[in-house]
Amino acid sequence: MFTEAYMQRALLAAIFMAPLCALLGVFVTARRMAFFSDTISHAALAGIALGFWLGMAEPVLPMVVVGLAVAAAMLWLKENTDLHTDTIMALLLAGSVSIGMILLSLLKTSRGDIHRFLFGDILAVSTPDLWLGGALLLAVGAGAMARLSDLALLTAQEELAHVSGVPVRRLNGIFIVVLTLTVALSIRLLGIILVTSLLVIPPAAARNVSRNLRQQIILSLLAGLAAGLGGIVLSYRLDVPCGPAIVLTSIGIFLATLVAGRLRS
Amino acid sequence: MTTPGANPAPFAVEALDLQVSFDGRPVLEGVNLRIRPGEVVALIGPNGSGKTTLLRCLLGLQRLDRGSIRLFGQPDARQALPHIGYVPQKLVLDRNFALSVREFLALRRKETRNWFWQTRRKTDALLHSLLPDIGIGHLLDRPIARLSGGELQRVLIAFSLLVKPDLLLLDEPTAGVDTPGEQTFYELIADIHRRHRMTVVLVSHDLSMVYRHASWVYALNKVICCEGTPEEVMNADSLKAAYGIHVTPYHHHHVH
Repeated sequence: MFTEAYMQRALLAAIFMAPLCALLGVFVTARRMAFFSDTISHAALAGIALGFWLGMAEPVLPMVVVGLAVAAAMLWLKENTDLHTDTIMALLLAGSVSIGMILLSLLKTSRGDIHRFLFGDILAVSTPDLWLGGALLLAVGAGAMARLSDLALLTAQEELAHVSGVPVRRLNGIFIVVLTLTVALSIRLLGIILVTSLLVIPPAAARNVSRNLRQQIILSLLAGLAAGLGGIVLSYRLDVPCGPAIVLTSIGIFLATLVAGRLRS
Repeated sequence: MTTPGANPAPFAVEALDLQVSFDGRPVLEGVNLRIRPGEVVALIGPNGSGKTTLLRCLLGLQRLDRGSIRLFGQPDARQALPHIGYVPQKLVLDRNFALSVREFLALRRKETRNWFWQTRRKTDALLHSLLPDIGIGHLLDRPIARLSGGELQRVLIAFSLLVKPDLLLLDEPTAGVDTPGEQTFYELIADIHRRHRMTVVLVSHDLSMVYRHASWVYALNKVICCEGTPEEVMNADSLKAAYGIHVTPYHHHHVH
């Protein structure tokens, strides 16, 4: 099965995107930003619809642009209104999904394609996606490792990070842009509905058996990689969408680490 | 009542005419602070009196509507940051975050910021040389999200001392700590101050603590209602001005 070009692309995409999600996920979960990434991924639906309207077969760019616009709107509303964060995110999530669905319903010819984006499809990974994913993994991996202490301090407390000389605003901005790009590029594999799971489940699985952050990062990377590769193989063998296959594999890993953690303690 | 500005030495903290408002509602109005190096100064006041906002101003975290701040004569808070230790009111870490005490402390110093790639022994050697007597050795392997209130405060103090600060800012540091823990904590601060003689500014609502440990007190309620030695400020009229109600301070073990 690994001789077919689309499978090679799907496996490479998993090798690039799953560890990237797992690494970012350690900080996303600790900063309680899972709902934030869920909102960004759902906003991609409006981006996809916009891309189809513009006649694009590969709507990665509008997905990223709409994702960044929603992230910017979220930050603006948070800073300039008294609204609760959850309310802001629910508002933007529902709004962007509604816009996306209305645009798609008006564009009758492309409606069938949307399932590939909702639940992920190994056939959908294109070569440009792969290059983008690889470049993003390299850039984020190197950046995160170089600024790991800053990121950990920012996660612990923003005031302490500021006092320790961390450029809090700039790093927060970079984190949100990187998260948005990662979510947009991971939608091919996991789908809009399930993409957040790869940000949440591998770090949680790693947490079950980790005593410190170094262990959690390393084990989260490994859990993400195993879930990504295992899920793609399952998806191919059982002929099921690869998003759910990757998620169920990661849940299997989570349960195994939960038992292992309990037995050890 | 004397002012602490008699000493010709430069001030550790000099804040002039600070004005801060949120949504047009004034939080600080014309606040002046002059704190000499080596003093232990307490900021007291009721909830919502602007104590934490004032501390955030000193840290450069709060935009001023008016006024200026100099720390050790330096007008740019960012330049002064390497000389500041800060102990926040609380640190709410998600239990999903496995950051250990050792890793947390390593984040503060350049030499240990590479903790991910360093051996544990190297990080420990550096931490022990910098914090020989803080009493947290047994906590190093623990995830920071699972410490008790008292343990966490001790770790936060250790974190703030890692840069050997000239100015230590503490924001209600014993909120969430039980009474014996609170006493131990203030004794630790007093001990650290005795040995290092840094300037300490602490926000507190614990009047008995202020009475025992502070050398100068500012009573704040949007404006500085009164300032002076603990004895001067703790008289009922001054406190009434700050809190707007009748308060009788509780003094215990106070040595004149």
